[in-house]
Amino acid sequence: MSALLRLDRLIGRAVHTANNRRLGRLEEFRATRRGKDWIISEYVVGTAGLLERLGLGVRLILGFKRPGGYIVRWDQLDLSDPDRPRLTCSVEDLRRG
Amino acid sequence: MRKIFNLALGIVTSIGGFVEVGSISTSVQAGAEFGFSLLWAVAAATLFLAALAEMAGRVAAVSRQSMAAAVRERFGFHFQIVPLSAELVIDTLLLTAELGGAAIAVKMLTGIDFEWWVLPVGVLGWLVLWFGNFSVIEDGIGLLGMVTLSFVVAAWRLHPDPGQVVRGFAPSVPHHDVTRYAFLTVSIVGATVSPYLLNFYSSGAIEEKWSQQDLWINRSTAWLGMGFGSTVAMGCLVTAAIVFGPQHLKVESYEQAAQMFVPVYGRWAVALFAVSLGIGCFGAAVEIALNAGYVLGQSLGWTWGIDRKRRDVSRFVTAFSVVLVLAVAIAALGFDPLRVTLISTALTVVIMPLVVLPFLVLVNDEEYVGRHTSGPFGNGILATLTILGALMAIVVIPLEVFGG
Amino acid sequence: MMDVARDVLDTRVVDRNGREMGRVDGILLDHQTGRPLRLSAIVIGPAALGDRLHPAVGRIVRRIEQRFGLDRNRPALIDFADVDSIDDKVRLRLTIGETAVDAVEQRLRAWVSRLPGAQ
Repeated sequence: MSALLRLDRLIGRAVHTANNRRLGRLEEFRATRRGKDWIISEYVVGTAGLLERLGLGVRLILGFKRPGGYIVRWDQLDLSDPDRPRLTCSVEDLRRG
Repeated sequence: MRKIFNLALGIVTSIGGFVEVGSISTSVQAGAEFGFSLLWAVAAATLFLAALAEMAGRVAAVSRQSMAAAVRERFGFHFQIVPLSAELVIDTLLLTAELGGAAIAVKMLTGIDFEWWVLPVGVLGWLVLWFGNFSVIEDGIGLLGMVTLSFVVAAWRLHPDPGQVVRGFAPSVPHHDVTRYAFLTVSIVGATVSPYLLNFYSSGAIEEKWSQQDLWINRSTAWLGMGFGSTVAMGCLVTAAIVFGPQHLKVESYEQAAQMFVPVYGRWAVALFAVSLGIGCFGAAVEIALNAGYVLGQSLGWTWGIDRKRRDVSRFVTAFSVVLVLAVAIAALGFDPLRVTLISTALTVVIMPLVVLPFLVLVNDEEYVGRHTSGPFGNGILATLTILGALMAIVVIPLEVFGG
Repeated sequence: MMDVARDVLDTRVVDRNGREMGRVDGILLDHQTGRPLRLSAIVIGPAALGDRLHPAVGRIVRRIEQRFGLDRNRPALIDFADVDSIDDKVRLRLTIGETAVDAVEQRLRAWVSRLPGAQ
């Protein structure tokens, strides 16, 4: 079954773990070329707060990288309910970003 | 050689639109009520403006996008709608005040009530925008704006005490009416650091096709141009201080303010003041209307540009026309431009942190400024100014109520 | 690898001839269970911007467009297959005339052109 989702409705959504703990927010979708298509191969889930999400944190200005954050592979995220994305794996299986 | 000429022209023409209804009214009141002691506020506000303009120009020259376009792209529409809406409201109010100011100037020359002049002034402004191009508008307004040097000449001819003038550049606490002093300080900042000036400056950089090779032109135009423009505001303040200061006069109208030219220009006083006020306000009005077109077109992705065939930028043309019509309608209702200016300068200060913060991010993002990122020193200044701006934003409304 | 929210959304779009078409106002993704999301279409148009603010705003914009007869094929949906490349701009294989992106501009042009000096 195929559905069309709007990117702007997914960006910023809270991502929960399998046991309903809040992991962070969907911050970015990383796409790769596969043949003629662009597919989303991984997601960036950020734990940063509002100001830091907009890149306005003092850290960024002083040149340090953003804190926290996970890289979630496409198959590690369940979007069957687009309003409530949830991990299909445990947090330990995620790459840190 | 040609670039040096253009640079000199750019610096000189910065005068056009710099001194307008907001800066004239705040400078006159500051001088009349507090003598020279608010000169530091004019200087500080100008430094703030020049620093922001240089950054806006830098982003435009390197990324080939104006501030509004860069903010849309970097932060997304959801963020941008807030400063965009605020800027459109403020610009409309400010445009109303400028049209009113120009109309009052014509009234001072003809004796006919200013409400009758709002429409002719508006129509003239529209014709300039319809038939003109960027050079004609910028250089034309700038050269005509040289008449505002009458404020500088007046201040010079009144022989102010140099020692006292210099002391005015050091921030101080007044002996009387601290609330009013604070209010005027914040108003001077709000009148000087208008958000429209920053997007207009960056749009101009795009219209003039500045690139990375022109960064030195950008730096010179921003700092020297704004500096040159501020001498007029300072001249206005000093003149008001010398002529009105001794009586601690509260200046309530432009007709009253014109009297400050009498000791220097005698029977030409009112005419010269009116011409200076009129040209300053008219120039600013044209720029503000044009900027409304710029900021909408750049944010929403329309084709835009005052150098393009009008039929190719129909949405852009419609935008600046509608804003002009709206402002003419409001101004013709007869609101006192002085009051409208106060509201728009207060609103400017309130949204200032939201306008400045994107600057902070963009000038540190290599995607927008290449390797010309802001160093720690520049960032330190920006951060300090942002905090000061936030503090001012908090106090401006109470100050307006108690000191306005 | 491409950061979609950062590098595609809100980026300028140009057609095959380099003509400006506006900005990416929205992106649609094709979701099939068990497969990765696929970039389906770029959306250009004020209704899409309205949607991003609030569904009610999007509805109001659509109603205004309907009222002026400007709602056919709008907001414009451009298949990702028609995207040639993405660098600092999104470059399409189409020409602007093959989409309804320019509808408002063209409608206003009819008025603006009547004034002397519009050329």
